Order: sequence, then structure tokens, then C-alpha cells
Amino acid sequence: MSGQLSVGLNCPSCGGAISVSEGESSLNCRYCGSTLYIEGDNGVNTVAFKNKLDRDAAIKATKAWWRKGFKARDLKSAGAITEVYPIYLPFWSIGTRVAGWVCGYEEKTTTDSKGNTRTEREYKEEMVLMDLSFSEIACDPGDLGIRSLRNFNGEASFEDMDMIPSFESTTSRDDAMAHARADAMARGRASARIPNITFESLHVLVRKLSMIYYPVWVARYTYQDRMYIATVDGVTGQMLSGRAPGDPLYQSLAVTAGTSLGGLAAAGGIIAAFTFQSEIGIAGVILGLIVLGGTYWFFRHGSEIIEGDFADRKQLASLKKGQLGSLLGGARI
Amino acid sequence: MKVTLVKCPKCELPLYMETQDEFFYCSHCGTIHTRNGPKVERIPYEIADFRPDAQTDNRVYVPFWRLHTDFRIKSRDVKGGFFNKIGQALKGGDKGASIYIYVPASQMETAAFRYWSVNLTINNPRYSARTDFAGTPRMPATTTRDEAIELADFVAVTLEAEKPGTLQYLDYTLTVNEAKVVYLPFMSSRSGLHLAV
Ligand SMILES: [Zn+2]
Repeated sequence: MSGQLSVGLNCPSCGGAISVSEGESSLNCRYCGSTLYIEGDNGVNTVAFKNKLDRDAAIKATKAWWRKGFKARDLKSAGAITEVYPIYLPFWSIGTRVAGWVCGYEEKTTTDSKGNTRTEREYKEEMVLMDLSFSEIACDPGDLGIRSLRNFNGEASFEDMDMIPSFESTTSRDDAMAHARADAMARGRASARIPNITFESLHVLVRKLSMIYYPVWVARYTYQDRMYIATVDGVTGQMLSGRAPGDPLYQSLAVTAGTSLGGLAAAGGIIAAFTFQSEIGIAGVILGLIVLGGTYWFFRHGSEIIEGDFADRKQLASLKKGQLGSLLGGARI
Repeated sequence: MKVTLVKCPKCELPLYMETQDEFFYCSHCGTIHTRNGPKVERIPYEIADFRPDAQTDNRVYVPFWRLHTDFRIKSRDVKGGFFNKIGQALKGGDKGASIYIYVPASQMETAAFRYWSVNLTINNPRYSARTDFAGTPRMPATTTRDEAIELADFVAVTLEAEKPGTLQYLDYTLTVNEAKVVYLPFMSSRSGLHLAV
């Protein structure tokens, strides 16, 4: 998978230099043939991936990213990069195999020509057997917007670690293992695609656990006196995360559409509710309020384009699922 | 990281293995052991002989965990198929069966893993045992005893699920009485592995 890595380790028998790959726990010395056992600190093997980017490449990638999507159209001329630097971030890299069975049924409702509905159960039994990769950042990522790895391949080498500052790992191996197991369970269960589960027996095996120090370039830039950040993958050169100003034109279009639609629906709903006392009316009011709320949210936060795992982006996702749902639930009473 | 010289836990001689393998095999006394940090565990094992007419080219030994288990079904619910009726009769539990479950100890792709574990468990291979590998290469082992026990549970449920009808519920117990490694003889070819007992 990943390349060989010389970590300044020597064969205890002949003194020859040895190289270890990620996740490897035993090897035979290529000079004297002795069989050797590698014991990671606290059972964790560590590798670092070689940084493949320079400052110019990181700036180029950031500027190319500025031109994509609904970002401010004058960003490429008005944006000014203030600092660009590489860092090493530690990640837990865990390979799992999930094996088991998920059984249950799916309900299918059909309506015949007379309007009679019938619900039938389609019974299912699905085997789950897959190998999965899980990664999780092993330190506090701060405002970088990075939580997991997308790339697990790289040239393993510790030589850049003298030059590039690296974050200490601060999270525990056991927590990371527990997260990897939960992730494998959830992905295994989801792969069975059974809406109503009546029986489930899933086993997760941890096949490989290591710590990867991954090179990331951080670019900070300004646009109209505001500070923004972007990060670039130091191995692949891809964008990892970033914040950028949105385009005012797209925003005003969205806000206009949102308020008029929301207002119409709410107003129509109130009239309908008073006139017919119908449920449609109440639903209209609720729908209108949601659209208005969404527009307000976009107006406040949508002025920024956010890509990556930033904490405030997560809030939007949970707001959609949680608060909107409870708003609906509350409105129904 | 720390590097230690691997020595046989029985005769204490250093090992010089030809391939990279987590099952450390001592060619002096035949002991196989595994390591997990400072913990050393001896692995009981058997070597099955190749059938007399097997070719001498492309031979390989593949390690399997052979788990002697008691598989007891307390109740099951199967929709459709033959077991629909039998399922009812089974409520209250059956006597349970004593079965040998085979779990590959080497890293295998999921399809091969499923094929060999199910097939060897349904048709336990019959072989005569020998005391050494006679220079035949071994496939490296990666699966620990505890992992094999977890996977045996998966194999047992697979046996039930692959019977006719759609499994909806299974209440069972699986007790492992003994875990042993069996090196089974295979011929490897471009089409895959072929059992040669
Ligand atoms: Zn020995």
C-alpha cells in the first residue's frame, strides 16, 4: 500500500538499517535474515508521508479554487494571499473488516384502480462482508476544517519532519478504535439497505491501526478586509477545505426568491387556514415559515462559501435534521 | 517504535523465516507462536498432507483456524421456503450440533474468504497429518484466535441464512470448545486456489 519507510531503526542482530511499511509488525532483516518483531509505541505504528508540494504549488491550487463555484467573482483580482505554510497533521488510520448478516423486510404499498391500498412485506436477508478504511484527525484541528483523510497513499518518509512543524497527537488510540468500529457497524448496516431490521449480527475486526503524519499546506488570505483560510493536500495537491466569500449576485437572487416564495406560501396559508380551516392552510404557514427561516439563515451565513469539515458547517447539517424537525413537531400541536 | 529479535518461546533459538508471517514458525522444534506487544502465545496446529497424486509445482500451505463448536439454535423465523414449517417445530430449541468451523487465517479477499469458510465448514476436509512443511511455502497468517472466534459466529449464521427461505430472526448460542490451526494443502493457479487433500 504505502511505501517503505526507514525510521532509523536497526536490526538488533547485525545492526543493519531496516525499513517498515505502514501497519507492519514483523519482518526479516534483509542483511542477516533474522526475524524481527516491530512494536509500536503503545501498539501504534507511525508513518509520515512525504510532502510533494512547494509554496508556489499551494498558492496555485488555492487560486484555482477561488475561480470555482459561486465564490465572489472578483476574488481572483481582489483576494490577497497573506501567508502560506506547510504543517504535519496526525491522523489515525484504521482498516476494518465487517462481517455479518442483516435480516428484515421492506414494506411496499400499492394502490389498485379502485383506490384500495395494500401493504406487502418483502422479506430480505443480506450478507455484509467488506473491508473498510477509517481515518480521524488525532489532534484539535482548530479552524482548519479537516477531520479525516481522503487519501491513504503516499511516499512514507520522516525526512520532512525536521523542517515542517507538526501537531502532537492528543486523542487516544482506544477512542479512535471505538469510532472506527462504530463507523464499520453503521456502514455495514447501511450497505444491507433493509428499512426494517428484525435480526442483525455484525462483527468488526480491526485489521490495521497506525498513525499517519500527513502534510497539509495552509493558505490565509484577505478579501475586502476579511480573513479567510484554505488548505491544500501536501501529497495530492487537491483542496482539502476552505472558506471563501460568496458572490453577492447569487446571494441577492436567492434571498429575493426565498422571501417572495416564503411570504407567498405563508400568506396563502393564513388565508386558507381562516377560510377553510384546512390542514393545507396550516401546512402552508409552516412551509412558508421554514422557507423564510432558511432564507434568513442563508442571508446571515450564506455570504460565505464553506468547503470541508468546519464546526459551523456541521451545525447547518444538524439544524436541518434536528431543529427544523422539532420546529415542525412543535408547530403541529 | 521498538525492534526485537524473534526467538522461539520453546527452544529459545532465534528465527530466520523466509517469508514475512505473523505466525512465527521455529524450524528447529516446530513451535508456532504469535506476538501481541510483549504477549507471546503458542499456537496449536496440524499440517495436512498433499494427496499422493498432487503435482509438486505451485504447492502452497494455507492456514485455517479450525474451531470445534457447539451451535445451538433456540428459535428461528424463516419466511418462505422449506424451513417455514420446520421453524415452528423448532421453537423451544433444538439439541444443537457439534460442528467444526473453518476460518481462513490468511488475508483473503472477501469473496474467497466466504467461499472457503462456508465450503470447508460444510464439507470438513479429510486428510492425513504430517509433522513438517517439507519445504512447501506457507501463506502468511494474519488472523488471531480471537478474531477467528468472531468470524466463526459469522460463518455459523451464514450456514443458517443460506438455507432455503428468507431468514428473519435467529436466536442461538455458539460455544467454541477448541481452536486449532490447520495448514491445508493447495495448488495455486491463475484461476485461484484448489484444495489438494
Ligand atoms: Zn524452537
